[in-house]
Amino acid sequence: MAWASGSVTPRALFDRRTAPIDDLAGHAEDVARACHAMAVRFHRGGKLVVFGNGGSCTDAQHVAVEFVHPVIVGKRALPAISLTSDVATLTSVATDEGLEEVFAHQIRFLAESTDIALALSVDGDCPNVLRGLAAARELGMLTVALIGGDGGRIARERAADHVLVARSDDPRVVKEVHVTTYHVLWELVHVFFEQPGVLDPTVLR
Amino acid sequence: MTTDEVESLYPFLYADKVDLDAVLAQVSASTAAKAAEITQLRAKVLAADGDRLAACAAEMAARFADGGRLLSFGNGGSSTDAQEVAGLFLAPGEGFRPLPAFCLTNDIAVVTALTNDIGFDVVFARQLAALARPGDIAVGLSTSGNSANLLAAFDEAGRRGLLTVGIAGYDGGRMAELDSIDHLFTVPSASVHRVQEAQTTIYHVLWELVLDQLRGDDQ
Repeated sequence: MAWASGSVTPRALFDRRTAPIDDLAGHAEDVARACHAMAVRFHRGGKLVVFGNGGSCTDAQHVAVEFVHPVIVGKRALPAISLTSDVATLTSVATDEGLEEVFAHQIRFLAESTDIALALSVDGDCPNVLRGLAAARELGMLTVALIGGDGGRIARERAADHVLVARSDDPRVVKEVHVTTYHVLWELVHVFFEQPGVLDPTVLR
Repeated sequence: MTTDEVESLYPFLYADKVDLDAVLAQVSASTAAKAAEITQLRAKVLAADGDRLAACAAEMAARFADGGRLLSFGNGGSSTDAQEVAGLFLAPGEGFRPLPAFCLTNDIAVVTALTNDIGFDVVFARQLAALARPGDIAVGLSTSGNSANLLAAFDEAGRRGLLTVGIAGYDGGRMAELDSIDHLFTVPSASVHRVQEAQTTIYHVLWELVLDQLRGDDQ
């Protein structure tokens, strides 16, 4: 999709960012519930497994470093891995089984039932992300998806337990909302983590 | 952050009784506050740097038009931004013109070899010395503006005649003191997270402005 000529001024580009972030604020409770569920998993010893394609692949790596090496001094390191960093495995599985299987394969052999799957997709339609979420559910993992646009198949098929949609049809803006969202996820997981009472299974609904 | 500040932000942490609904309400309010914060920060960046972004994009477009390539670099979270910058220019998706771009953190063999043999401070500078041509563009990202390997890389790029673009945070740190950065964009926030979010906007906007400049050129 190309933008109309003449619309490309710094002000127009910055303005395009405002409404989708306001929409994220409007869904703050969904974000809070996802954070709570993630904190419960971490509390039980689970790890975070993150995956996505293209720009979302760089986000997957960013999320992993965010949790493993917190930027705020004094926050504990939490276990997280990105499924996009091992190029040897990615290209091997893609060649042997197809690109659709690259995340599902790694999840089947690297993840455990106590873990969290965090999927990122700017349109919600990536076949390998859908396959990864299905494999995660099969294992009993908590599934969280950050998607964009109209939510695509991930939203329609309720392919994750927690689905957070960045409301923009511009993949770059979707990515920016995702960056804010996962920064907030990281911070709020730690807020829940510092109050172990709320992580007791009896308060879960 | 002091204990008092934490308590005023998240008073439920200090309550005796577990009240999940109260915690969820507090956490939701915190999310809304962060959303408002990033929008205000983006407005600040636009006001300070809108015209400079357009000027920088015009110079980048001229380099690309003459056969220049983009080389990006950063550490940690900024390394993932550097990958996004390169990936966005090189494979922007249907309907957009691909441009040559390469991220220096992609080659783990080179990065670990240089780090092991010489030191981490030289990784990007040595890669630029081997890969860069005078018509290229160097884009380096750092939240603090103080990363030693970025400072060395900008000096190396400047010596070689590259167009140099720095994206920093806080007050720009030591990157703000360098003569070797042609265009420096600094996100004025004390939060690493908000800095990174606004930096993402800065490079997305630069990309879109560059493509707009190149529209109509032969591909």
